[in-house]
Amino acid sequence: MIVRRFVVPVLAAILVAGACGGDPPPPPPPPPAGPDMDSLRAYQDSVRAAEEARRRAEAEAAARRAAEAERARAVAAARTTLEAMVFFDYDMSAIRDDAAALLRQKVAILRASPQVRLRIEGHADERGSTEYNLALGNRRAEAVRQFLTGFGLAENRFEIVSFGEGRPLQQGSNEASWARNRRGQFVITAGATAINPAQ
Amino acid sequence: MRGMTMYERLWCRLAVVACLAVAGSAAPASVGAQDQIPGVSLGLVYTGSYLPALAVQPFTGRFGGSGLAPQVETIVGDDLRYSDRFEIINDLPGGFVRDEVDYALWDRLGAVWLVTGTLEGAGDGYVLLLELHDVVYGEVRERGRFTVPDPSDADYRMSVHRASDEIVRWATGDPGMSASRIAFTMRGFRDTDSLTYNEVYLIDSDGENLVRLTDFEDALESPSWSPDGSKLAYSSWKSGYPRIYEMNVDTRVERMLPPVRGAGDYITPTYSPDGRTLAFSVLGSDSRSGIFTYDFDGDCCLAYLSGGPWYDLSPTYSPDGRWMAFNTLRFGDAVPQVMLMPAEGGQAETLSPYAYGNGGYFTSPDWSPLGDLVAFHGAIERGRYHILVADLADNGRVLRQLTSEGNNEDPSWAPDGRHLVFVGERNWGYGLFVVDVTTGRVRAILAGRRVGVPDWSPALLPR
Repeated sequence: MIVRRFVVPVLAAILVAGACGGDPPPPPPPPPAGPDMDSLRAYQDSVRAAEEARRRAEAEAAARRAAEAERARAVAAARTTLEAMVFFDYDMSAIRDDAAALLRQKVAILRASPQVRLRIEGHADERGSTEYNLALGNRRAEAVRQFLTGFGLAENRFEIVSFGEGRPLQQGSNEASWARNRRGQFVITAGATAINPAQ
Repeated sequence: MRGMTMYERLWCRLAVVACLAVAGSAAPASVGAQDQIPGVSLGLVYTGSYLPALAVQPFTGRFGGSGLAPQVETIVGDDLRYSDRFEIINDLPGGFVRDEVDYALWDRLGAVWLVTGTLEGAGDGYVLLLELHDVVYGEVRERGRFTVPDPSDADYRMSVHRASDEIVRWATGDPGMSASRIAFTMRGFRDTDSLTYNEVYLIDSDGENLVRLTDFEDALESPSWSPDGSKLAYSSWKSGYPRIYEMNVDTRVERMLPPVRGAGDYITPTYSPDGRTLAFSVLGSDSRSGIFTYDFDGDCCLAYLSGGPWYDLSPTYSPDGRWMAFNTLRFGDAVPQVMLMPAEGGQAETLSPYAYGNGGYFTSPDWSPLGDLVAFHGAIERGRYHILVADLADNGRVLRQLTSEGNNEDPSWAPDGRHLVFVGERNWGYGLFVVDVTTGRVRAILAGRRVGVPDWSPALLPR
């Protein structure tokens, strides 16, 4: 651009200067040479091409970055889903409907992420016997494991452990605390760097 | 005359307790006919046993024992009160009692028994001379000498408790329980990750001498005494998964029992009465869940007693070692039941009153060291737990309810087979309580702490 804007006025000035004065006109300057114009255009073209390539690369990099960010977001979301807790009814180890919906999401992620292994921790609220609650916590963890393996996931990808009432999430002797404490928790024990979002 | 008055007073108190029990059970509207368990009667039923009056005359001192004599007398007096076998006479006006034993005076005051004591300085410690007087016959029934170390010695209070237990044996022929300790868990809070944990603590039977035994800052449950009182087995999560450990109480040397079953939760250990076997439960094992035994002599020979796809846990041996009571979830999640079976495994029968479709909730059995009773706790109404005892003589069809207030869990028998320690939850918080099964008297020995799974030691002999 700069080149063209500069060259045209200079040529015009030379022509005007040549038409004035009584002196024998000097030999006309050689017309602008064809090869010169060509090289100029070639130069201009190469600049344009480089410009375009750079732009394309930038766009591609941006797209790649966006895709990576999107995937990282999806992986993070998958990890959050894998680690999300499920909750149980009082004195029960049966999988509730809300828990089943969440566990199905975990199944899809686990299928896409064959290296991932989980520890399932069963917890109980403080009511009832401490030792019974250990058994209840184990039953809850086992119920979750059976739900997951029921979808064809390998048994050896899951370990279970009960903490009974010993590790409450929320202190307090009221239904709100108890409901939070009757739970299954999930710890990723292997393949944390190989999580893939559900297909 | 005095005896009649005591008797009447006791009956008045029992009547009040019974009325409270009736009021308590009638109040909740949620308890409908279908919540009642057929053929089982629950109630705060106490034998209206007559408690003889026992007086403790102020102890005297000789050869440098006078300074400590009043403190020793207080420990003995409290032990005898906590034995719940006597009405204690101790609020006498000063100067009322002379050094000479005046049987006529004690008879007028209604005393049946009189305890006198003299503490003598002897070497680094003391000798406690005790006499039990029969006031009615006006004579000394028993006397004994007891070595008491200096109060700076860790065994000081326990040595006095042993003397108290001897007085109980002189007067009643039955063992006492004051020379004993209770192991239990108390909750702590880990600042680094905001997780709660348990440590094992010990406390003497009279609520004194609270000490922490472990320092793992991790989940831990079910401390259980060895029959000689030297070791505790428990379940600790410090490896990431619950495994059974055994610790020497004096040296605090610990070892893990080999997890020969592989994966699973290893929980609820209990020693056989001869100390040669440890029974415990493995849950969620790769193969079979249930109750196993471990042979200390052979350091081997794990035996599988019961279980299957269901869950059996919390075993407890009969004192002759031939039977075992345990808790099972085989009837379903919310209806844990107490069952009995031979100690080597075999056909199991329910002890708690299970009725299909209306099973009730009964957990945490503990077999009395006298063999006649099994204590456990149960949900009398949904979400409310009380301490119950089943008499094996009538197949557990009559359950006696020992608590009426708050929630009450995890009973464990004292060595006298008459007292139970349990965890009580009241509106002010949690605590360790002791109930006398005969009189129904309840006392708190540690209040306001988040405690769990108490286990009462056997009678502790001098080390």
